[in-house]
Amino acid sequence: MPVNGRLARVLAAAVVVSLVAAGAAAGCGKTTKTPTVAVYASANQPIVFWDPSDSYSNEIIVMNNIYETLLRYDPAKDKLIPVLATSYQVSPDGLTWTFELRKGVKFHTGNEMTADAVKASIERTMKRGMGASFIWSAVKEIKVLDRYKVEFDLSYPAPLDMICASGYGAHIFDPSVVQANGEDWFAAGHEAGTGPYMLESFTGKEEVVLTKFPDYWGGWKGQHFDKIVFQEVSEASTRAQMVQAGQADFVDNLPIEQIDRLRSDPNVAITQTPSFQNLLGFFNTAKPPLDNVLVREALSYAVPYDQIITEVMKGTATQGQGPVPKGMWGHDDSLPQPTYDLAKAKQLLTQAGFPNGGFKLVLTYASGDETERRVAELYKASLAQLGINLEIRGMPWEPQWDLAKATKPADRQDIFVMYWWPDYCTPYSWLNAMFHSEDTINFNLGYYKNPEYDKLIDEAQKLSGSNRAQAVEEFKQAQKILCNDWVAIYFFDQNYVRAMRADFKGYVDNPAYPHVVFFYNTYRGSK
Amino acid sequence: MRAFIVRRLLLGLVVVLGLTVVTFFIARVVPSDPAARWVGPRATVEQIERARVKLGLDKPIYIQYLRYMGDLLRGDWGVSIVTHQPVLRDIATYLPASLELTFYGMLLAIIVGIPLGVLSAVHKDRAVDHLSRAFSIGAVSLPTFWVAMVFQLVFFGYLHILPLGGQLDMAVKLAYSIPRVTGMYTVDALLAGNWTVFLNALEHLVLPAVTLATYPVGLITRMLRSSMLEVSNEDYIRVARAYGLPEGRVIYVYALKNAIGPTITVIALTFAYSLAGTFLIEAVYNWPGLGHYAADAVLAADYPAIMGVTIVVAFFYVLLNLLVDIIHAVLDPRIKTV
Repeated sequence: MPVNGRLARVLAAAVVVSLVAAGAAAGCGKTTKTPTVAVYASANQPIVFWDPSDSYSNEIIVMNNIYETLLRYDPAKDKLIPVLATSYQVSPDGLTWTFELRKGVKFHTGNEMTADAVKASIERTMKRGMGASFIWSAVKEIKVLDRYKVEFDLSYPAPLDMICASGYGAHIFDPSVVQANGEDWFAAGHEAGTGPYMLESFTGKEEVVLTKFPDYWGGWKGQHFDKIVFQEVSEASTRAQMVQAGQADFVDNLPIEQIDRLRSDPNVAITQTPSFQNLLGFFNTAKPPLDNVLVREALSYAVPYDQIITEVMKGTATQGQGPVPKGMWGHDDSLPQPTYDLAKAKQLLTQAGFPNGGFKLVLTYASGDETERRVAELYKASLAQLGINLEIRGMPWEPQWDLAKATKPADRQDIFVMYWWPDYCTPYSWLNAMFHSEDTINFNLGYYKNPEYDKLIDEAQKLSGSNRAQAVEEFKQAQKILCNDWVAIYFFDQNYVRAMRADFKGYVDNPAYPHVVFFYNTYRGSK
Repeated sequence: MRAFIVRRLLLGLVVVLGLTVVTFFIARVVPSDPAARWVGPRATVEQIERARVKLGLDKPIYIQYLRYMGDLLRGDWGVSIVTHQPVLRDIATYLPASLELTFYGMLLAIIVGIPLGVLSAVHKDRAVDHLSRAFSIGAVSLPTFWVAMVFQLVFFGYLHILPLGGQLDMAVKLAYSIPRVTGMYTVDALLAGNWTVFLNALEHLVLPAVTLATYPVGLITRMLRSSMLEVSNEDYIRVARAYGLPEGRVIYVYALKNAIGPTITVIALTFAYSLAGTFLIEAVYNWPGLGHYAADAVLAADYPAIMGVTIVVAFFYVLLNLLVDIIHAVLDPRIKTV
C-alpha cells in the first residue's frame, strides 16, 4: 500500500515531541523550602499494630519514637537509663518495685503523665493479653503511691527494671483516649504517646510521617529533625539506590553484596554492631534418627561454620557459642564450640550405627531469606559427604510454623532454622521460649523436654531481679545442659550492618531495640 | 442499545458473584494460617487461637462465605489481615494509584502501538516493518522487572534525569497538601491548580508508565499489523482506492476502523489485568498500587483483602468488556445489540 510517507513522519515527530516536552516540563518543577526530614526506608511495612498494648512486630521502629518506656536499656554499659521514670528501688526479696516518675511529662493529647496513667497503661496491656503482654506475667498488682510514684507488687521475683525497658509491650500511653474513644481507637491509626515525635499522617501500610512534638519533656535545644518519614521499600536495590541518592537517610536489611558496593561511596556510612540476633537450627529431638544425641553431635560437627561466616555473612557475624549471643549478660564464654570436622562427625555417626549415613532429613527455613538459603545449601553439601540426604525447604513463616506444629509428629521437619532476638534483655528469652518443655508447641521447635533444665531456668529468671550473680550462674549451668544434649545448631551471632547517609549523625545502634533509630538523638551534620 | 447494556451489566454481576465463590474457596487451599499472620510473628498459641475465633476462621467455610457476602452487601468488606485496616479503605488508597499508572501506561502503549502497527502493515517487509517486529518481540519478551531495574539504573542512577520511584518527591509531598479528591496525584493537583505537584507527579509516572507500556505496546503493534494486513485484502478497500479516495483516508478511515476490533479487545483486557497484575513494577518503583497489596495478601492468605481485590478487578473486567462491546457495535453497525 503506497502511502504518504509524510504522514508517518509527522506522526513519529509528534510522538517524540510530546514525550520530550513532558520530560522537559517535568524537569522544571522545582520544590520550595521544607522542614528538615529524615527518611527510614525499611524492607517491611512500618506499622502492623497501631495499638501500643498489642505491638509486637516491625512497628517497634516507629513506636519507639512516638511512645516511651519507664527505663531504657543500654547493653554496651549494661545499664538502665531513666526515661519516664527517674529512679527506682527494689525490695530485697525482689517482689516490690517502686518507681519515681518524671514530673511535667506531657502526652501528645496534652494531658500530663502521672502514676495513674502508668498504672492504667500497663494494666490495659496485661488485660488485652496480646503481643508481648506476657512480659508482665509476674505482676500481681500495681499501686499508685502518689501522683508521681508507682509501686509494682509481683507474685514471684522477676527483673522488672529490664521488663519496663522492653521495646515491646512496655509503652506508656494516655489511658483517657481509650475511655473516651473505645478500645479500637488505636487500631484505627491513632496514638497517644509521650515521645519526641507524634503521628502526622500515614498512607496505607507503606508510609508513616511523624512530626516534632513541641512540648516534649526533653526539649528541642540543639539540632533535631523536624519530621521523620518511615517508608516501606520492599526492593533491596531500590533501598540501596535511595541511600546513595540521599532519598533515604537510614536503610535496613540490605544483602551483603549491596553493602559491599556501598562501602566505596563517600556519601554512605556503613556501621557494624554486634546484635542480640542469632540464627539457630533446632534438631527434632523427638524423631529418629535425631532423637539420638550422638547423631545430633555428629551433625553439629558437620556444619561448615567458617565458610558460613566468611562466604555467606562476609565477616558480619561470629560463630554462635551456645544459644545466648555473646554480649548478652548471662552468656557463657567457657561453652564448647563445635568446629567443622567431618572426620569427627563420621566417627560419631559410626558410633551411633550410621557409618555411611544413609538417611534423609528435612530442613525448613524462611523462604525469601537469602542468608538462610545459602546456609542451608552449604549444610546440604556438607552432609552429602557423610551420606546424608538433606532436603531443604524454603517456606513462608506461617506454613513453616504450621508444619512444625503438625498433629502427626512424623510429618514434622527434622531441622527448623530460624532467627531469634529478645523481647527484653535476658538469657531467659532464648532459654525459655525455645527450650522450655511445652505441652502445646510454640517456639520450642526441637521439642526438647528436660524437667531439670526447666526448673533451673525458671529459678534463674526469678533471681535475675534481685540476685544477678546467682542468676548468671544458673543460666550458665542451663546452657551447659543444652550444649551437652546437642539440642540445636548455633550457626552464628549476627552483627547488624547498617547503611546510612554519611551526614546522618547521632545514631548509635542499640541491639536491645532491634532496628530502632531513636531519631531524637540524630541530626543532619557535615560528612 | 440500552437493553443491551442493562443485560450485560446483570450478566456481569453474575460473573462477579461466581468469581467470589471460586476465589473464596480456592484461597483456603493455600497452606497458610491467617490467624497467625494477624497476631504477628512472635505470638503464643493462645493468642493465635483467640485471633482465629475473632476473625471467624473457626466456623465452617460456607458459613464464613455467607457471613462475608452478608457483610459485603452492607458495605463492610472486612479488615485486612496484613494491614489491619478496613479492606475498603485499603482499596480506596491503592486503587487510584493503580488506575493512574495503568491509564498513563496504556495511553502510551496506544499512542505508540497503533501508529506503529499501521505503519508496519503499510510498509510490509520494508525497514519499518522489520524494525517494528524486532521492537515488539523484544517488548513482549523482556521481563518487566528487569526492564524496570534497567530504566532505574540508566535514567536515575547514571543520567539523573528521572526519579527513582514513588509517586512524589518527599520534599514536595511534605511541602504541599492537596485535597484528596480522586487519589490520583495528577488529577488532584490539576483540580487544586498546583503545577508543582502536577509536574512532579508526572515526572514520577514516566518510568513506571513506560515500563508498564512495554508489554502492551508489543502486543498492540503485532495484533494491529496482522489485522490491517487481513483487511487490506478486502474488496471494499480495493473499491475505495478505485474510487480515487486519498490513501490516508483509505488506511485510517476504512482499513483501520475495520481492523482495530481485536486490538481494542486486547487493550481492554490488558488494562484490566494491569490494575492488579503489575506488582513487579510496583515493587521496583515503590508504587503503592493494588498489585503489591494483592501480592502480599495472597502470600499471607489474607482472605478479606484477596476477596476485595478480586471483586474490584472483576468489576473492571466486566465494565471494560462492556465498553469494548459498545465500541465494536459503534464501529460495526452490523453487530446486533438488541
